[in-house]
Amino acid sequence: MLAQKPSDNVVLDAEPPSEPARRAIGHSRARAPLHRGFIGAGAVLLIAAFATDSMYYTTALWQWANFSAWLITAGLIITLVAVMLLLLDFATGRAARLNTGSFILVTVAALLSLVNAFVHSRDAWTSVVPQGILLSALSAILLLIAGVRGWSLAIGRASGERP
Amino acid sequence: MSTASVRPIGALISLLALAACGSKPGDPARQYGPDPYLPEPHEYLLPPMSVPEAIGWKAGETPTVAAGIKVEALATGLEHPRTLYTLPNGDILVVESNSPGTEPYRPKDFIAGKVKARAGADAEGGNRITLLRDADGDGKPAIRTVFIDHLYSPYGIVLVADTLYVADTDAILAFNYVPGQTRITSPGVKLAELPAGPIDHHWTKSMTASADGTKLYVGVGSNSNITENGMAVEEGRAAIYEVDRLSGAKRIFASGTRNPTSVAFEPQTRQLFAVVNERDEIGPDLVPDYLTSIRQGAFYGWPYSYWGSHVDVRVHPQRPDLVAQAIRPDYALSSHVAPLGLLFSEGQHLSPVFTNGAFISEHGSWDRSPLNGYQVIFVAFVNGRPVGQPIPVVTGFLGEDNQTVHGRPVGLALDRSGALLVADDVGNTVWRVSATQPGS
Repeated sequence: MLAQKPSDNVVLDAEPPSEPARRAIGHSRARAPLHRGFIGAGAVLLIAAFATDSMYYTTALWQWANFSAWLITAGLIITLVAVMLLLLDFATGRAARLNTGSFILVTVAALLSLVNAFVHSRDAWTSVVPQGILLSALSAILLLIAGVRGWSLAIGRASGERP
Repeated sequence: MSTASVRPIGALISLLALAACGSKPGDPARQYGPDPYLPEPHEYLLPPMSVPEAIGWKAGETPTVAAGIKVEALATGLEHPRTLYTLPNGDILVVESNSPGTEPYRPKDFIAGKVKARAGADAEGGNRITLLRDADGDGKPAIRTVFIDHLYSPYGIVLVADTLYVADTDAILAFNYVPGQTRITSPGVKLAELPAGPIDHHWTKSMTASADGTKLYVGVGSNSNITENGMAVEEGRAAIYEVDRLSGAKRIFASGTRNPTSVAFEPQTRQLFAVVNERDEIGPDLVPDYLTSIRQGAFYGWPYSYWGSHVDVRVHPQRPDLVAQAIRPDYALSSHVAPLGLLFSEGQHLSPVFTNGAFISEHGSWDRSPLNGYQVIFVAFVNGRPVGQPIPVVTGFLGEDNQTVHGRPVGLALDRSGALLVADDVGNTVWRVSATQPGS
């Protein structure tokens, strides 16, 4: 699970929790944004596609291009799940407002990766070189920056924490 | 993209495809003959696709033929009939078969599978050969038996002396045949292995025999569209083999033929010919499928180049040395028509027009909009060479709206009376095409 905010721990810092307090624990855990881990997971796969594209570029062994196609597809699916969870985070008050910079980074990376999924559906060398590996590299750079910024696409309500 | 295009992909993707579409499909007529129009290749985010929905034939519906010719169903309810062969006693063998089935390797394969299934390509094959006997020649076989069962994606078939050779996808099998036999139960003897799984992308093994019966010639398709499954799995593929009938010793007779789906000897010159299915996904007018004479030791370009020295940039590393050797085929059949059947007319009786030349069945396109193929054509020969524009012989496989397909023609044969037989693997029918006035 994600680290709890210090402020939450202060509230719970007491005797064995009563029934209302236990509900409060559950409530406080549920309030952690749901989308963040999925953004990270999807990004890892999309970044990995750049690594496998690089391997294909140097070896021309088809299985590397094959890995890339699956990594990009899976990365996009997980990112789509993350977006739905982001909406859920807003709907349930787990998120207050958009972290605009990270949101743009991830959105652009996802759109480039969507195009890249189609580039990778071509056959043989030109499914990767040159456009595919270029798109993979751009996505990887954008997502690494988003990673440094903490993967979160939203800013929480209560604490106003930095993502 | 037309309204017949594949729909289950979202609007965004269609936009991407539109943005990527570089060329409008041209008139297929410019791509018949020895010197076809060849546009610049394009690479797509989503290649042009258009696949009609398979609906089969209702009772009484048939393909269309010219005046003076009639068409009727010789047999219906078959299990994906692909190739036909007429035995010396007039019995007709129908090879019912389909791909052994391949696992998807890439996300794309799921979509491609769905697209082709729409046109009826995923139907289960019978893996058997059915015998039809129409002794009185009235077009209604009195005997219909399972001739050979439990085959493995069979396709090519040829009788030499008292031995029937059947090309399964992985081997040539030899069966003893006694004239008049209606069923063979003994297992075949393996004569030679052929390149097959685990991918087996182009699975059909077309086959014919030399006139003296000493050699078999086997068409083996590539294991991919354009080497996307790696070069290792292309070893011994996209080639035409010569197999010694008695010893089973085999060698590659010609190479670079992407998918040689039918091989046959031209009767006058005894020259080997093949129809070859060329590569996809570089445009609606690329690359034309072709009919060509097959010369010993010749290289026909795949994968490195097409129509002679037109380089395919999708192949890496490239081989300029092989491109320099690649020879141009004899006769283009226009793009993506998927020629599957090749039959020399041998002076048969349909019409004087068809005395000298080749019937070719065009299974029909998917990588193109509008559709192309879905008919049986005739290409006239002069002095053993294909000439002129083709003549449509059997049409009407497509619905009038071009969005549905009743049947798709595959294997061709002549019956004992000279009528043209056409296997239809979507309509699961064998059509018999004959002159309205016998002997005219």
